[in-house]
Amino acid sequence: MKKLCVVLDEREVQDNPYRPDMWRIVRRYPLTNDVNFYQARPVEMEEALKFNYKPGQFVMVSIPGEGEAPFSISSTPSRPGMLEFCIRKTGSLTETLFEVKENHTLGVRGPYGNGFPMDKMVGKDIMIIAGGLGAAPLRSLLLYVLDNRDQFGKLTYLHGARTPGEMLFREEFIQLKEREDLNCLLTVDKDDTDKWQFRQGVVTELFKHVGPIDSKNTFAVVCGPPVMYRFVMPHLVRLGLPKHQILMTLERRMKCGVGKCGHCAIEYLYTCIDGPVFTYWDVLHMKEIIGRGVSDKTVA
Amino acid sequence: MILKMKKEDLSTFLDSVKEWGELRGPTKKEGRVTYSRVDSLSQMDLKAARTIIPPKKFLYPPRFTMFDYDQDGYTERLGDVPKRVLFGIHPCDIHGILIMDKLFLETYKDPYYAERREKTLLLGHSCIPDDKCMCIATNTDFVAEGFDLFFSDLKMFYLVWVGSTKGHDLIRLKPELFSRELDKNDILNYTEYRKWKNSQFKTKIDLTGMPDIFELGYGSPVWDQLGDKCLSCGQCTMVCPTCNCYNVVDEVELGALEGTRDRFWDSCMFREYSLVAGGHNFRDKRSDRLRLWYTHKLQAFIGEFGKPACVGCGRCVETCPVEINVVTVSTALKEQEVGK
Amino acid sequence: MTRQSPKVGVYGFTGCAGDQLMILNCEDQLVDLFGATEIRSFVMAKSDNHEGELDVAFIEGSISTEEQLKKLKEIRERAKVVIAIGTCASHGGPQAMKLGEGGWEERYRKVYGNAKITISKAFEAQPIDAFVKVDMYIPGCPIDKGEFLAAVSKLVAGRHPYLYKFPVCTECKWKENPCILYAGKFCGGPLTKAGCGAVCPSYGLPCVGCWGPTDDLNVSSEYKLLKEKGYNPDEILRKLRKFGGAKVAQLLKDVENKGAKA
Repeated sequence: MKKLCVVLDEREVQDNPYRPDMWRIVRRYPLTNDVNFYQARPVEMEEALKFNYKPGQFVMVSIPGEGEAPFSISSTPSRPGMLEFCIRKTGSLTETLFEVKENHTLGVRGPYGNGFPMDKMVGKDIMIIAGGLGAAPLRSLLLYVLDNRDQFGKLTYLHGARTPGEMLFREEFIQLKEREDLNCLLTVDKDDTDKWQFRQGVVTELFKHVGPIDSKNTFAVVCGPPVMYRFVMPHLVRLGLPKHQILMTLERRMKCGVGKCGHCAIEYLYTCIDGPVFTYWDVLHMKEIIGRGVSDKTVA
Repeated sequence: MILKMKKEDLSTFLDSVKEWGELRGPTKKEGRVTYSRVDSLSQMDLKAARTIIPPKKFLYPPRFTMFDYDQDGYTERLGDVPKRVLFGIHPCDIHGILIMDKLFLETYKDPYYAERREKTLLLGHSCIPDDKCMCIATNTDFVAEGFDLFFSDLKMFYLVWVGSTKGHDLIRLKPELFSRELDKNDILNYTEYRKWKNSQFKTKIDLTGMPDIFELGYGSPVWDQLGDKCLSCGQCTMVCPTCNCYNVVDEVELGALEGTRDRFWDSCMFREYSLVAGGHNFRDKRSDRLRLWYTHKLQAFIGEFGKPACVGCGRCVETCPVEINVVTVSTALKEQEVGK
Repeated sequence: MTRQSPKVGVYGFTGCAGDQLMILNCEDQLVDLFGATEIRSFVMAKSDNHEGELDVAFIEGSISTEEQLKKLKEIRERAKVVIAIGTCASHGGPQAMKLGEGGWEERYRKVYGNAKITISKAFEAQPIDAFVKVDMYIPGCPIDKGEFLAAVSKLVAGRHPYLYKFPVCTECKWKENPCILYAGKFCGGPLTKAGCGAVCPSYGLPCVGCWGPTDDLNVSSEYKLLKEKGYNPDEILRKLRKFGGAKVAQLLKDVENKGAKA
């Protein structure tokens, strides 16, 4: 089956940006009812050493015979050798991914996307606001900042979920509340367990408990369902954060991850190579970006 | 480098280029103009204004296999593309290929496109605009790069532009057919030809100011009216020389866990195109999808590269059954009314 | 990963049996097909049939009698996955072209007179999803071998089949056919799901829509366009409803109501 390329040199075939490498699932466990957590490592150990990424980037995950889709990285590059991602069962590919067990292999290529502008964020206060599955990419950033704690200013983590059972990495985040070098605020819309010891209400309610903000010196990073942006964005602008210091990471359909297949296009930008991290200023210029009418509220 | 060749020598020259690769050219069968396999010049129709599908099909076929996979991983299927010489490519289509080159050969080089591009020689040919051509408005009526050779038909003889070393190698297969002797009359003839070509255009559109007009017209009811008409059939995207979108699907061999990963042309006109897992669709309405396409061609691309991603070939004009095309859409946006 | 071969049943109701025939016509792959699956029941192909638990039931034909309906429901109960094969099972087929218009009893009398039919009570033909949950559709008249085998191969491997969701016009362009609707012919391509490889237009014949409606179709625009091209409304309704099933019938009704109001 193996064919040698006659025109392109070997290096160009090696560089085929579409070819997935095989990775092994080393750990897999459920985070919630419909979200699984995966830890993976390349089958070829040399690949493991080469794999480097930034918080906010994503990988394309393949299941032979089923297809390929983008997933954001939940692990941090400050803890190398292992890739972590979360999968929610929502379609054919993720359904089949749920059947891939520990020690089985799947295809991975990447990392792709711009990731968070870590070089610009160094020295600044960081405020992370996660809603629902938005915690998956933001965990990468949170852990990165914690691992490089002295490089950043004040760190605030706000996380809202529908119920305690639906909160991704719940125990991990609850443990973070013990730490003194960050302000970790968790909330659920509804407590259906009667055991939830923290706040209840929507994520914007948490802003009341954040304390004073040095707004010009703060980067806010938001990821969550479209409806969350509608409330969180105006709030951040009111707090005085410059629009180019409010970052969001977006989700789109993708078939290539490298700016070729067209699916993730938003006007002249591709979510895969120009994003998935955009500033709020970018978003205000792209009317389509998070759905109709979202951007209207804070302009003019 | 510009050379001169007698018109009657073209046939001999094309016979000799078959040494390099399979010859392809425009043919007309039962009213259908396509780039097809030909043995000689006599089988080609050089008068046809355009083929149904642009030459992108040779560089990026409608459906092809990217990988063979099995339990151990994915192996690219490269190397089995034949060498081809395409003759009779018009300036607009060469401009289309230049736009594809930008997309597929710059960041993250696409090896499938790159291999076909390298194994395909482009021999351009001058053309006679028909009532649907509008390359004069997109500034793609002439072309200075992207081809290996370009033949300008000046009635008595050809002026032949040599655009690459590969093109020069072709010339060297029959050097006796080409002359370097160009005189004053050749320049006068060529000037006359350009003037004549410019006078042939019947479709008059003006794309200046399009980025601003799109920005102003984002919320215009014109989009809804166009959306009501659009059949979402995808034809415009298939025939457009600058449409590159594709979908990928894994096929499985019966009774095995191996198979192929295939890639095929997709269209932003389809509802499925922007659907994400979980069911949210960023462009559920036809008007949203149409607006994306035209914004991409006439606003975003101009903003990014200073020229539209429309090469004025007229294929959308000749294809869309409900007359949604670059002419009608740009006019509707400017006049704020969808024409009949 | 070794998987058990799935238990499969193939059943036919009201239709021409052309889809089952097409399965048997997969000559080169037939041995592999019977090897990769455990065909428990396929009356048209073999005599020792066992009716029990199934992983996949392929069902051809529309439902038009009480007896069929009973059997359909019974199959649904014991099948993990139900797949409609062919346009009759998926959308009703030509026998359902007047679905929802009423007057079925009268048409029935016209054909059968006053003959007493005692086997099973009949009713107007309907697609199978009018009665049971359908997991997947492989339409076609008859189904396309390639599409069918690709879907089966994926099911056997424990993967989700993928079928083109776009209209046949896209395949028609891949075949480099000029648009015959543009040229003024009565072509149903924009409303019709791809999968056939645009066979008819490749021979210069307009698409009659035998693959049934595509997911996202603009009936109102097609109707208007055909009227502008000079076709009379009765002919348009008749032709578009031939394979369009309940979905196209409803959309056409909306168009007519809108027209009446305007």
